[in-house]
Amino acid sequence: MATTVLETSTTPVPETANKPPRKAGMTEKTRVRLFLAVLLGPTLFIVLAVVAYPFFYNVVLSLSNMNIYHIRDWELIGPQQYVSVVMEPLFWTIFGKTILWTAVNVFFHVSLGVMLAVLLHQAFVKGKPAWRILLILPWALPQYITALTWRGMFNYEYGAVNLVLTKYMNLPAVEWLTSPFEAFCAAILTNIWLGFPFMMVIALGGLQSIPSALYEAADVDGASAWSKFWNITLPMLKPVMIPAITLGTVWTFNNVNVIWLVSNGGEPADQTHILVSYVYEAAFFMYRFGWAAALSMVIFLILFLFTQVLLKRTGATD
Amino acid sequence: MRLAALLCLAALLAGCGADPYEGKTRVRIWHTKDSAERANLERVVAEYNAQHTDRVVEVLWRETEDLRNLFIIASVGGKGPELVYGASDNVSLFAMTETVRPLGDLFSDEFFEQFTEDGVVSWEGDTLMVADQLGAYLTMVVNQDLMPNPPASLDSLIVWGQDFTEDTNGDGRPDRYAITWNYTEPFFFVPFLTAFGGWVMDDDGRPTLDTEATVEAIQFILDLRDKYQIIPNEADYNISEMLFKDNRAAAIINGPWAFAGYGEAGVNYDLVSIPPIEPGARWPAPMVSPRGYSVNANVSDEDLPIVIEVLEYLVSEEMQRIQVDLDVIPTLRRVMESPQVQDNPRLRSALLQVQRGRAMPIAPAMRQVWDGMRGPYQLVMSGDVTAEEGARMMQEQVEKRIADTFL
Repeated sequence: MATTVLETSTTPVPETANKPPRKAGMTEKTRVRLFLAVLLGPTLFIVLAVVAYPFFYNVVLSLSNMNIYHIRDWELIGPQQYVSVVMEPLFWTIFGKTILWTAVNVFFHVSLGVMLAVLLHQAFVKGKPAWRILLILPWALPQYITALTWRGMFNYEYGAVNLVLTKYMNLPAVEWLTSPFEAFCAAILTNIWLGFPFMMVIALGGLQSIPSALYEAADVDGASAWSKFWNITLPMLKPVMIPAITLGTVWTFNNVNVIWLVSNGGEPADQTHILVSYVYEAAFFMYRFGWAAALSMVIFLILFLFTQVLLKRTGATD
Repeated sequence: MRLAALLCLAALLAGCGADPYEGKTRVRIWHTKDSAERANLERVVAEYNAQHTDRVVEVLWRETEDLRNLFIIASVGGKGPELVYGASDNVSLFAMTETVRPLGDLFSDEFFEQFTEDGVVSWEGDTLMVADQLGAYLTMVVNQDLMPNPPASLDSLIVWGQDFTEDTNGDGRPDRYAITWNYTEPFFFVPFLTAFGGWVMDDDGRPTLDTEATVEAIQFILDLRDKYQIIPNEADYNISEMLFKDNRAAAIINGPWAFAGYGEAGVNYDLVSIPPIEPGARWPAPMVSPRGYSVNANVSDEDLPIVIEVLEYLVSEEMQRIQVDLDVIPTLRRVMESPQVQDNPRLRSALLQVQRGRAMPIAPAMRQVWDGMRGPYQLVMSGDVTAEEGARMMQEQVEKRIADTFL
């Protein structure tokens, strides 16, 4: 009996004995693949439908002569629209303005955002949650409401900005919306207001993850506040800020809402356009669908190259 | 509790699946009627729906540019509203893109004959729109409390306006102006252009903007602002409306879509023709255009009879008589000749202005004309270029835009 028991207990148990019964003809590998396919299928379908299809359709349009005169009978004409885009003098002017727009905005978004985050991170600041909510408000409000509110505030005769300038600062009123340079500045100011909270939130998150021991060691070494910021805070923020700056750059470069609403569609005289708002104008006001598609592909290439170079140079994704 | 929640969810899902239009023909209308006219259309449609069980009429207001763009895109894609309402300058674009249906075979000759010449809009031989009003024109609206005797000429307006425009609170800026209008839009520039003998294009559709008349018209407006200081330094549509409704401008140049709003704001207003530069000179001729309904090319043959009935109702005598009370010029001869119009002093003034106006060309290039004029006009007004440069730039911009659109 004992022998029997011993024999029973030592009999090797098959590995699959505790696993659910396997479906006939399906290996483990196949099951895993099937499971992954079920998980990825809907996502893949959605990505193909809302990203890939419009993208490739846009590529096709950019090689076509589609415009108001050929909206139904358009045909492929090769790279003519691309040639027309780069030969258009206005393209280069607007490209320059777009770079300026992006650089100025991102610079102020990041510098203001980091500065406010560092300030909010200090122990002596009272009522931090309230400050955080207050500073995030510009970002939390719908963009178009903020943009239209700022447009109202920039009005020459009745806008709050000019009232402050003339009544309280004894400065002359500025033609914010009717002069090209001032109108562009007005749009930039609005976008800075809208954009700094995002960078502040990201920087605040990054600051939480910096070990306090580093600052304590720096204090022991007698480091100044600036030295600690430059040698500890900034390098430690880099991994979170570089992707945020990349995103911020792409968003700002492609931000049609603010420039369109503040300048009322590029006014005065199409002088406040950036590339993406000019695409909108070309497509839906000038009905140059093929040309607008080609310009949008050029924008895509510019941003794609920029992103690749920035991420590679900074090693942010390593 | 859980069971109740499940039952509620099931009921909700079942509700989502029900077709609210089952057994009914849906007639959607995209329109550009503003303020009082918009409210009137919505009220009339609600009453119409209550009287009909086999159809549902739905109206959706859209901004003028959006309406044109979205309608073309939707219709080319096989969708869009059954009826589209707007100014007649849309018609040529709709026809080119084959997004509206020719109406010649859908209505009898007797139906069309009820309308004035402007009430039925055709392009290249096809009837494409039936108008319910002569709705797109500009005239001078005066606040009778501030300007009891409208000036006979713009020169006399300048003299009167220099006394009237004043800084009442001493902050260094005028608090009321003699006249205002939206001077960021070239449509509002046309009366001045025509007062100096200019026009936007020749009979072959070529732009005619780099002319002495354009320069003189621009310079005249600049002088009103900078030399005589009787108009605001900056005035878009909303600012002008606000100034006039707040009794801070004695007159405004605007169109019939805005009149009812002045009454609602309590302004004691009257309509007068925009006066000539000096007595006996050429009358300013604003562009005049009917506004009406077109039928989407995608309307099925099955739905067409009901869509036609709805259109007939919307341009009917009953509707036009209601609109006359909103100072809208009708297009039905019977209504036009009725005492309701002929004995209405405001409408008589409006009709006089329309007679002094000039029909807006129904040419596809009008889009490029407006867009090409707008930029240089704004640059002139901001002081960045001279009147001469502005006129030259207008011509170049319009020509370039027309050429660009063909690629």
